[in-house]
Amino acid sequence: MRRSVKVTAPLLASVALSMATGCRKPEMQRCVDENNRVADDKMCANLPAANAQLNPGGPGYIPYHPLYHYYYGGWGGYALGSVVGGGSYTPSAGRSYATRSGITTRGGFGRSMSAGHGAGE
Amino acid sequence: MRRIPIAPRDDWQQKVSSAGLVFHTPEDQEMDRPYWDESACYEFTAPEIDTLEAAGTTLQQMCLEAAEHIIDKKRYAELEIPAAAVPAIEWAWENEPPAIYGRFDIAFDGSGPPKLLEYNADTPTSLLEAAVIQWSWLEEQFPNCDQFNSIHERVIGKWQDIAQYLSKPVYFAGLDNPEDQLTLAYLCDTAQQAGLPTRSILMGDIGWNDERQAFVDLEEQQMFSIFKLYPWEMIVAEEFGPAALDTYTAMRWIEPIWKMLLSNKGLLPVLWELFPNHELLLESHFEGSAPKPRDYVRKPLHSREGANVTIVRNGATIASTDGSYQGPAVLQAQAPIAGFPDNLKPGASRYPVLGLWMVDQQCCGLGIRESSGLITDNLSSFVPHYFV
Repeated sequence: MRRSVKVTAPLLASVALSMATGCRKPEMQRCVDENNRVADDKMCANLPAANAQLNPGGPGYIPYHPLYHYYYGGWGGYALGSVVGGGSYTPSAGRSYATRSGITTRGGFGRSMSAGHGAGE
Repeated sequence: MRRIPIAPRDDWQQKVSSAGLVFHTPEDQEMDRPYWDESACYEFTAPEIDTLEAAGTTLQQMCLEAAEHIIDKKRYAELEIPAAAVPAIEWAWENEPPAIYGRFDIAFDGSGPPKLLEYNADTPTSLLEAAVIQWSWLEEQFPNCDQFNSIHERVIGKWQDIAQYLSKPVYFAGLDNPEDQLTLAYLCDTAQQAGLPTRSILMGDIGWNDERQAFVDLEEQQMFSIFKLYPWEMIVAEEFGPAALDTYTAMRWIEPIWKMLLSNKGLLPVLWELFPNHELLLESHFEGSAPKPRDYVRKPLHSREGANVTIVRNGATIASTDGSYQGPAVLQAQAPIAGFPDNLKPGASRYPVLGLWMVDQQCCGLGIRESSGLITDNLSSFVPHYFV
């Protein structure tokens, strides 16, 4: 009795190669204070837009400049209190961003094996 | 069982590459031949294949009994399984979340019964080579012979069986390493052929959102079904390990966490206790639990790919490998040496280890890796087979 049936080779080398090249990572979206230090995302939640006016049209309106902003891209990390730079206060079209919102952290898996080694056997 | 030198196909590199095996000839200077080595092959008789198939099926049943025993007797500490992982293991054992595959490593030379060396039940690789590459080789080189190999269709069938129990998409996660990525790409392909939507992610890119109590992908989408080519003993020990355990019942991790019990070398002495002198087993004991024999093979509980293995004969070490795996170990009797003349090095021998592939409870294929020494490590070659 045959124990096998015809197998159509299913895998293209391009599939393996595309996986090896990895995915493009989103850039960082961090809440920062007026000194460009990373703050908790809660500080940036529900803020009026920059330059909005409190009591608009009323007497003695106050231009509003929030102490906290979202900061898009650039260098540095997500660590609270760390300084950011190299990015901007506005997102760039066509790019994706990942926030600390909900405090998503990454890198908590995959560090037991030294670089370049596999985990299969 | 015979090892037969044959002429490789003229353009074999292109053929295996086009089927996905892009690392057929690693640049590692320590290897004296390609990883995919078709300058030789193994020939079996149909009764020998029957013997191997029956051995795989029997060993699977024995291993399930051993897992049940470890759980019932709570022998987790002997296997160095952390207490924090126990609730998830016991839940998974009771509820039988989806599992796909495993590979028994067997010593066999055609004479005497096959002997279990270990069970790679959690993160086996070399799947594409066994399922597809050697099948294509057979069709060209021995079209009138057969091969013990229904791995491909059984893996697809298994995905179809478990599809209803999985949230979609199914994520395929692993390290950025060619061998692992190839196995992942192949398994991802089989899942797609079974109709499942899939996505790929590196283990290091998996996010944990504490507020949502959720694992998320790079687009912050919650991940529910994850095939991970990454061992459970590492998962539970890493930063996100507690989160993986806390949320285990809401997730579908493949392979499931109870596979920790089988991929652990501590399985071997437990099997020997439950089935003493069974013809498919080699005598094994936890180190220190019995007088040290004169001849044995020492394997750390969590060692991988032949690392930190020591072979002792007449009380003296005759072979050993380096590695980073410390801690408790098992002492296993050495299998009868299965050596075959090396066609490329006159006077030398090649030592095969037979990988018996399990999909679900079915033993459905054979892949052979062989090496120049008694310890099969990550420098061994894959050699195809057929039977008559």
